[in-house]
Amino acid sequence: MLLIFFLVTSSMNTEKGLQRQLPPLPDGQQKPLDVQREHVIAVRLDSRDTLSCDGTVLTPGQLTERLVERIAADPQQHVVAIETSRSSTYEAYYHVQNAIVRAYTRLRLQRASQLYHRPYSQCSPEEREAIDRHYPQRISESRPEEEGGKHD
Amino acid sequence: MIKMQPKFQRQRHGMPGLNLASMPDLIFTVLFFFMLVTHMRDDAVLLRYQVPDGSEVRKQQRHPAVVNIYIGKMLNTNGDIGGYAIQVNSELVTLPQLVPCLNRLRSSMPPEAQERFTVSLKADRHTPMGLIADVKRELQKAYALKISYSGTEKH
Repeated sequence: MLLIFFLVTSSMNTEKGLQRQLPPLPDGQQKPLDVQREHVIAVRLDSRDTLSCDGTVLTPGQLTERLVERIAADPQQHVVAIETSRSSTYEAYYHVQNAIVRAYTRLRLQRASQLYHRPYSQCSPEEREAIDRHYPQRISESRPEEEGGKHD
Repeated sequence: MIKMQPKFQRQRHGMPGLNLASMPDLIFTVLFFFMLVTHMRDDAVLLRYQVPDGSEVRKQQRHPAVVNIYIGKMLNTNGDIGGYAIQVNSELVTLPQLVPCLNRLRSSMPPEAQERFTVSLKADRHTPMGLIADVKRELQKAYALKISYSGTEKH
């Protein structure tokens, strides 16, 4: 009886997800940061879920490669600017987020094995902080616009 | 031939029965196994959703500071599927109710949990980004900045 009760009422799935930190809302006193055009990596997702980076259409896998290349060349000042349409699907957006996380993970892993000769997961907190400082996650997300160009 | 028949019958009766003395032990072992590896389903989910999959997902701790936000299509009582709706833990909310609801949940937590306040966003993979962006905006307003985009692992 107890066995059947547990089989029916419980579930086995473990929680998994992409952990992200949202920026706080601008409070009006902050000045918008001006970023020079050459530092911006523009990732765009249009209403038909077509992914493009700096104007060229690519897959999430290729996006990771492209980001690794671009961020490695400009680790301190790059900005990944994500732009989505209101009608693109969450799944496509999720794959973009996943590709970005993968790019940063790969870069940090590389740096960890270069500097400390061990994977990032086995580095001490100080070492990790040094790596994170070298490859900070600089991501900017703009609020998707309405299709008619209306801002809110 | 006639002589052989009773011999056969005696053999069939002589089959030893299975010893069932260890059966309760087995059942208790399985019971304890399930008690250890599973957990109770905590929210009654009123929406139909299927989370997307990604390769970089991390295991997320289940602790009291996690609030689940479900976004999916409404499941009506008569079985048909309605429009998109938002559910926080086990109650359905509308977009403007989201901020007061999160604030209420946060203030009901102990202080050490309030610092680790995390939102686990379980959204259907076909949800339009407009709705997700609106929810994220409300989360920013409620100062719930730690979020986890829930997903399944894909290799």
